[in-house]
Amino acid sequence: MRAALARVPRAGRICFAIAFVNAAIWGFVVPPFQVPDEISHFAYAQYLAETGQPPPQGLKGQYSPEEQGTLERLGFFETIGRAGQRGILTPSENAVLERFLASHPSPVGQGGTTSTSNQPPLYYALEAIPYLLSPSADILVRLALMRLLSALIAAGTVLAVFMFLRELLPRTPWAWTVGALMVAFQPTFDFLAAGVHGDNLLFFVSSLTFLLLLRAYRRGLTLCRALVLGAAIAAGVLTKLTFIALLPGIALALLLLCWRARRSQGGVRALALLAATAAVAFVPVALYAALNVLAWHRGGITAGGFAGATGSTLPSGGTVTLNQTLDYTWQLYLPKLWFMNHLYFPEAPIWSTWLDGSIGHFGWLDYTFPAWVYSDGLKLLYVLLALALIGLVRLRRGIPGMLPIFVCFATMAVGLLGAIGYAGIRYQLSTGYPFAQARYLFPLVALYALFIVLAANAAPRRWAPLLGALLVVLAMTHGLFAETLTISRYYG
Amino acid sequence: MTRVRRLALGVALLAAAGALALDMSGRAPRIAGTDHVSAAIFSVALPDGGTLCQPYMTLPSDAQRIEALIGTYGAPVPAISADFVGAGGRTLAAGALARGAREGYVQVPLGRPRSSSAEGKLCLHVHARTKVVFGGEPSGGTAAALVDGQPQPGRIDVVYLRPGRESWWQLLGALDQRFGLGKAPFFGDWTLPFAALALLGVWIAAVRLLAREIT
Repeated sequence: MRAALARVPRAGRICFAIAFVNAAIWGFVVPPFQVPDEISHFAYAQYLAETGQPPPQGLKGQYSPEEQGTLERLGFFETIGRAGQRGILTPSENAVLERFLASHPSPVGQGGTTSTSNQPPLYYALEAIPYLLSPSADILVRLALMRLLSALIAAGTVLAVFMFLRELLPRTPWAWTVGALMVAFQPTFDFLAAGVHGDNLLFFVSSLTFLLLLRAYRRGLTLCRALVLGAAIAAGVLTKLTFIALLPGIALALLLLCWRARRSQGGVRALALLAATAAVAFVPVALYAALNVLAWHRGGITAGGFAGATGSTLPSGGTVTLNQTLDYTWQLYLPKLWFMNHLYFPEAPIWSTWLDGSIGHFGWLDYTFPAWVYSDGLKLLYVLLALALIGLVRLRRGIPGMLPIFVCFATMAVGLLGAIGYAGIRYQLSTGYPFAQARYLFPLVALYALFIVLAANAAPRRWAPLLGALLVVLAMTHGLFAETLTISRYYG
Repeated sequence: MTRVRRLALGVALLAAAGALALDMSGRAPRIAGTDHVSAAIFSVALPDGGTLCQPYMTLPSDAQRIEALIGTYGAPVPAISADFVGAGGRTLAAGALARGAREGYVQVPLGRPRSSSAEGKLCLHVHARTKVVFGGEPSGGTAAALVDGQPQPGRIDVVYLRPGRESWWQLLGALDQRFGLGKAPFFGDWTLPFAALALLGVWIAAVRLLAREIT
């Protein structure tokens, strides 16, 4: 482990430290539970820490008396979704909260169904560690320590992105730093890293998987790499079911790696490596599935998580058709075509959801930058797209060699986009609420970093590092203003 | 070449710092606190003037006026006086608005800021026999607003505002205090300066790293 860390370049370690401190600062800035769904993620981790098992789910109390009472005294339910409202601003309001916490309300809830309770438990098991190690039983102390773990995981994502770019562009050191820092200062990424939120581990494991696949592609599949890949896949599936959407692309990549290993190591050995990866990935997942059914009685091998996202029967009794799914998924990313009868979105999601959401829809999606930031962001995106295209052309000699693995990465990306569409229409038609949020694309954050590096690479060779550095300063400024916006939202 | 690159990086940083300084210098009315009620509907009506009192209110120490959503059906807003009565029945703050404001979000003075925040009830006296409605939310029980002593089906949205218009620089003291509230007990007045210094450190580390990588 120590040897592996020593192989990380100094710049990578600095990027890791920068990302950790920056995310931790965000954790100080964002008030407790104001990260989207943080109440549910915390409830899961608290239940697991207190009882030793994931929430059983069902129509029962979602939060522990301690969490419920804290949320009420924080003015949480009155603050979310209402940009004009504030939480605690006065010492007397704070005294009410302190009196409640001094009464030692029970931290053990009933584990009722929430938006996250049907997810696998890996992230929550990790969060149970700072929860249990906390020197104080105060829920807010525990939350603060748990948020630090999220910041650490986010820093791990940044390091994985750094190493991914290093693997891809070994002769371009500036690109590793530029790409990693672009992620480290991405404000929506940081907003999530500020809170107790399972997506942080999903982003890390996804980025790590990209790195491991690329490394195995470039350097060959060894037993060690096969086992680590299997472990990463298992960790991904046990983190959030969304990771399943990446599996077709990952499977394709594994077949590619196996096929390449066949030439150097022989067919039997190559198949053995593939089997080792599959076994390491499968066994923990199978164990989780068995525990769900046999020990925890959580209503099925995925605790209802898979069925919840993919069930086609609507509360009205109708069903979601394949045509509707394809129509919705297309419109989620591309302009509506003339033969598509149903308009699912009032505005094109590619801008209103994906771009604007990446620039920043903060809190429980209840406060944003002024409108001009998003329109200027769109113009900047056009410029970056043009630059990235030029940058790609400049790297054309390296493309054929990398094309096979990037086809696999593209399959992973398409799998994710398709899964968002598949689950999205079911959610939207069932509840009437929009589903997609920009963060759902963040498992692809390594590709975002690559996109920025390609854009910087459009400049002449001597100026490309400077363009990259200037883009990072722009990202830092973007992040800084997102923080001041957040301070004005909750404290101003 | 190296100097040019570093100069360009320096200019970009100066631009960022300048933008931050400019943004923080903008003056606007600043919030002292809220009653955690939003103006979703017109929740309380005074059909013929009278007095609206809302219990379970917290008066922030730095509140100098309140803001509420008031509807008058096109007529000018009548004269309204406000007083905040503490738990012991003592009036802790009072002020009045003259007749003639336009309906919508209306500010009613509340006197000078006090040394500490206080619990109590806020009363608004409408000095005209005209129909006035207030924005708020449905509510019931003992938390509901009272009109001339009669319980109403809701509470009203009240935002307490600090004196005048302030820049973020002027608000730093209040922000510093607020940063330590509603969080783990070890957070306090030190949190905001610490976060600012840590962020400065992050920026310095990132810029040093970039400067090294691009040369």
